[in-house]
Amino acid sequence: MIYLVLFWEYFKVGLFTIGGGYAMLPLVTQIVTRRNWMTEQQLIDFIGIAESTPGPFAINLATFVGNTVGSASGLGVFGGILGSLVATIAVVLPSLIIIIVVTALFNKIRYNKYVQGALKGVKSVVVGLILSAVITVACKVVLPKLDFTNLSDEGFSQFNWISLIIILTFFPLSKIKVKGKKIHPICLILLSAVVGIVVFGVCNVQQ
Amino acid sequence: MTKTTTTERAEKVSLWQLFWTFFKTGLFTFGGGYAMISILEEELVNRKKWITSRDMLEMLVIAESTPGVIAVNTATSVGYRARGVLGAVIATIGVVLPSFLIITALSFFINAFAENTWYKAAFTGVQACVTILVVNAFFKMAKQLERGWFSALLVCASLDVALFTDFNVIFIILIGGALGVLYTLLCDVVAKRKARKLPLQQNECLPEQDNERNDSDGGEVK
Repeated sequence: MIYLVLFWEYFKVGLFTIGGGYAMLPLVTQIVTRRNWMTEQQLIDFIGIAESTPGPFAINLATFVGNTVGSASGLGVFGGILGSLVATIAVVLPSLIIIIVVTALFNKIRYNKYVQGALKGVKSVVVGLILSAVITVACKVVLPKLDFTNLSDEGFSQFNWISLIIILTFFPLSKIKVKGKKIHPICLILLSAVVGIVVFGVCNVQQ
Repeated sequence: MTKTTTTERAEKVSLWQLFWTFFKTGLFTFGGGYAMISILEEELVNRKKWITSRDMLEMLVIAESTPGVIAVNTATSVGYRARGVLGAVIATIGVVLPSFLIITALSFFINAFAENTWYKAAFTGVQACVTILVVNAFFKMAKQLERGWFSALLVCASLDVALFTDFNVIFIILIGGALGVLYTLLCDVVAKRKARKLPLQQNECLPEQDNERNDSDGGEVK
């Protein structure tokens, strides 16, 4: 049964990757190519789409892999939908169980002095990780060719100055308050999509 | 204490609200989960006031140090705090459903979609906005840290390791936790030494700790 295999493989992915969706990528690539579900190129092509469509990256990827596997099973469209359902549930299930247990436990021991100490350390680490995400995301937008683990001159060859201008104009927008409330981040995203269409689509400005 | 807060929250947050909030969040999360922190802060902390920024960082700590997708883990964690196991399941379904629907719909014409210049243009704009959301998320979470050399040092160290090496995140987190425990032990030793020299100061220290505990309790009730 292909769906059971799919469930099992994605359950393992959900269980063994710590550090968010991007950490899943090597494991998913390995499984997909080993099982002959997709070629590596197919997966790479889809990664670009998974990043640019709404929803967490890893869930988009799981849905897509499930869909491809299910569609090949002979059940047609229905098989595809079933496949994406199986993969999505499988990737979410381990963390659902673990989070419930950990949160319940954490509420019991949170005032322990050593738990507080460990929490203090991990909090700082997590903020550091977010800061590293800030730098990674910003560089991906402004300097798309830069690779931090392998720095070279080539990384600075492409500079998207228009994206930088959009960032600089949107930053104050995210801070101002209208009637005592900040502009909702969702409105900012919609607005930035419109700006993108106008600047890069209608005016056809090259990056 | 915890029981009363749970029932209070249960009256406030309906399952439908929980589902709808996370459906919206899932729909407007792009790439990794960090941009989502800004949306959740606005929705849960500023507007609905279900949790505080401090809770938010704690949930992020749990989401980051357990397996799975960070965006989904945060949803599960908020859902569980609001409405128990059922809340956790509903919030998780809510955050995952937009991906599921959109990718399933897209799978019928995926090649046409990948080549569409208008969508590419819109997404280039969205990417710039996502950068700002992640920046804001960083500032909000950094504000929740205790000021001091210890926190600052750990932030810089984990930034360096995460950015310039392929070191596994879980080890960075484990080392951070261990250092936190060590730091607490160190503070204890220093405090005891001081107390031995100046017995009066010990009394000053204790009420301060009690205050802190009351503060965090108060934060939870809100």
